Amino acid sequence: VVGLLLVASCATTGAEGEGDKNLPTAGVGPFRKLDSEEVKGIAPFVLDDPQALYREPAVLRDGASTLLYAVARVSGKDVIVRTRALDERTFYGASGHFGRKPQVVLEPDAPWEGALSGPSVFRFRGELFLYYSGAFGIGVARSSDGLSFRKEPGPVLGRDPAPNSWESGPPRAPGVFEQPDGTLHMFYGAGSAIGEAESRDGITWTRATTGPALVAAPPPAPGSLLPNEKPPFDTAAVGDPCVVTRTTPAGRFHVRVLYTGTDTAGATAIGFAARYGTSGPLTRQPVPVYSVNQKEAAPALLELGDNAFLYVQQERRADDERFPGIAAAFAPANVTLPPAGDYPDSP
Amino acid sequence: MRAWATATLAMLALVTTASSAYANPPDTFGFGSRETAMGGAVAAETRGFAANYYNPAALARSRGLEIGIGYFRADHSLEMNGRDTGVDPVKGLNGGLVAPGRVLGIPFAFGIAVHLPDDRISRVRALRQEQPRWELYDNRNQRLFLAANLAIEPVPWLWIGGGLSFMSSTRGRLDISGGANVFRPDDSKLRHEVDADLTAVRYPQAGVRVALGDRVALAAVYRGEFQLALDLSAHLFGDISGLTTALYDLQTHSINNFLPQQVVLGGSWAVTNRLRTTFDATWIDWSAYEAPVAKLDAVLDIPPPPSGWPSTVTPPTTPAPTRTSPLVMHDRIVPRMGLEWHAIGERRAKGFVRAGYEIAKSPIAPQTGVTNYVDRDRHSISFGLGGAFQDVLPELPGTLTIDGHLQWSHLITETTLKASAADYVGDYTAGGSILAVGVTAGFAFDKGQR
Repeated sequence: VVGLLLVASCATTGAEGEGDKNLPTAGVGPFRKLDSEEVKGIAPFVLDDPQALYREPAVLRDGASTLLYAVARVSGKDVIVRTRALDERTFYGASGHFGRKPQVVLEPDAPWEGALSGPSVFRFRGELFLYYSGAFGIGVARSSDGLSFRKEPGPVLGRDPAPNSWESGPPRAPGVFEQPDGTLHMFYGAGSAIGEAESRDGITWTRATTGPALVAAPPPAPGSLLPNEKPPFDTAAVGDPCVVTRTTPAGRFHVRVLYTGTDTAGATAIGFAARYGTSGPLTRQPVPVYSVNQKEAAPALLELGDNAFLYVQQERRADDERFPGIAAAFAPANVTLPPAGDYPDSP
Repeated sequence: MRAWATATLAMLALVTTASSAYANPPDTFGFGSRETAMGGAVAAETRGFAANYYNPAALARSRGLEIGIGYFRADHSLEMNGRDTGVDPVKGLNGGLVAPGRVLGIPFAFGIAVHLPDDRISRVRALRQEQPRWELYDNRNQRLFLAANLAIEPVPWLWIGGGLSFMSSTRGRLDISGGANVFRPDDSKLRHEVDADLTAVRYPQAGVRVALGDRVALAAVYRGEFQLALDLSAHLFGDISGLTTALYDLQTHSINNFLPQQVVLGGSWAVTNRLRTTFDATWIDWSAYEAPVAKLDAVLDIPPPPSGWPSTVTPPTTPAPTRTSPLVMHDRIVPRMGLEWHAIGERRAKGFVRAGYEIAKSPIAPQTGVTNYVDRDRHSISFGLGGAFQDVLPELPGTLTIDGHLQWSHLITETTLKASAADYVGDYTAGGSILAVGVTAGFAFDKGQR
């Protein structure tokens, strides 16, 4: 018996250690950018073109597909286009998908709109609500198929008329989510801060608070930083909120917001702020969820169980040419994705 | 006299020269099947090679050479948010011997014991402080346990013993120098040098056992503090394609497998000739615990080329040192109870039934901040069967013992609520169970005196 036990306990090398499977996470990174084996194009970009200048992504899961809406330059106008991927990375009409282009779904045609920007998609009461920014506020268009949209005639949230408002500019870059009671809330950027509005039908919006939900981080107190420690990444401005909600294992309603943080030197990074419950200001995470020093901005989050994809606008640097494209990142950072799949046959 | 003095001096020398041990595999899962089956409440009742861990003084209870060997395995089912986190099993051989003798008519004994894990002699891990981990189960039990002790029985009612346990820390250094050609990597010429050192760490244990008549015994045991350090440094310096130079100095220091000192008070009472009950209370100095977080100190110096950095290159910057959050732990007293029933047999063959219980309240403060050192209150019940057989073979006079045990620990599921909504990990539930089984075989050349 002892001999058998001895044999059983022998091994030439020990097993690799584990203990880090299925660890809890709030689902918002930190993220790593995709590498060259994980995308068909130039990593980490999943949609880029020096003429179309794709930027400001918004994503939505639709069955097995990932729908991506983004701002693009088409015929000299900033429009909103839609594309689709079956593996979250290989989008119809990307630079390697010759002869194909994402489909234009929204163009500026109203005087208040100017150029379109900051799209956000949200499924509500069987329809797809596409919120977007115009020159004078936030508009919405609705669709049943995600391709043909009907616009509301005017902005659903315009500039705050209140005197002494903290909003130093028109609201833009909306992020919409549903509260447990069925009401809709929206975080939006205005000036250098993020505000919050509410609605019962997704069309008529009112401001939820008189103050902002998130402001730029205060500068660090003198002497409070360790050697080589960087000050907060968002001391100048916060904006481009992307909102995802969940109920935590403890049963708390958890509102998670990814945003663009800008420091006083103009450098950007993607930050994470959140709150528990249905109201109140957001709490900031001091470490950015994604920071590559390439003008990353306008985050969009796609949650897939334990995994999450982050899509951002990011500067593509090729030779002497620089232009914005849409890059993708992934969490958990220690997981490697399988090779990129095939392009879908339609946008 | 000379032998006695030598043995005493050797023991004192071992104890006094020890550097400043708790979370051995024996601390968590017991050592030897008989003792584990009795819930580990055996400070006053242990004997044989297991006494090397439970109470070195009890080594001197042996009256003949004793050897023992066994195997045990503990499987974790530890979950967070209802999903198994894959904590590695702890498994390996347990064994040891006791060599008793007499010096000037005084019984003494030398003992040695080892837990030899299957997968790794020792493992060091320096995880980010934010990463959730079962702090007391993930890594700390993945290591060798080796102890050597001496014990004496100066008077028939008193046993005294002590000795050392051993481990090793790790120091390592990596030097890389030369030139890197970023345009033609094959032309790069780099020299590297590795210097690693496994330095010995010793920590003491000592114990005393007092017999109050034939049925009652008391015991006290001390186990010292121990910490396994991991110090790594790296020095990289070289030329980059003649454009610039790069210097990178990195130093990390972390403490792995910190074992707090502990004091055990135990008692044993033979209620009847066939039933014995035992009790231990262990004070554990958890408040001295050092978190296993690597402290990083790095210097990076890459001066810009004379023509400046290319527009597509973002020069790296020196990483900031780690800003660690303290790990708050509280001292704990762990009570243990055991029972041993001589169920069947007399003289040549005896059968025993054993049982035990232990409750270990978690010493780790609620993890509401950025750290996630996960632990939960643990209730352990154990059960065992054993047999002792006299003179099984005429050529081999003595006592053959075969014991088996099963231990089931339940870690109560509780929820950790994070103070900050912007925590990367967020709220989670944690709990689970651990199942340990083992068998130990021993032989005592004691002419039936056991």
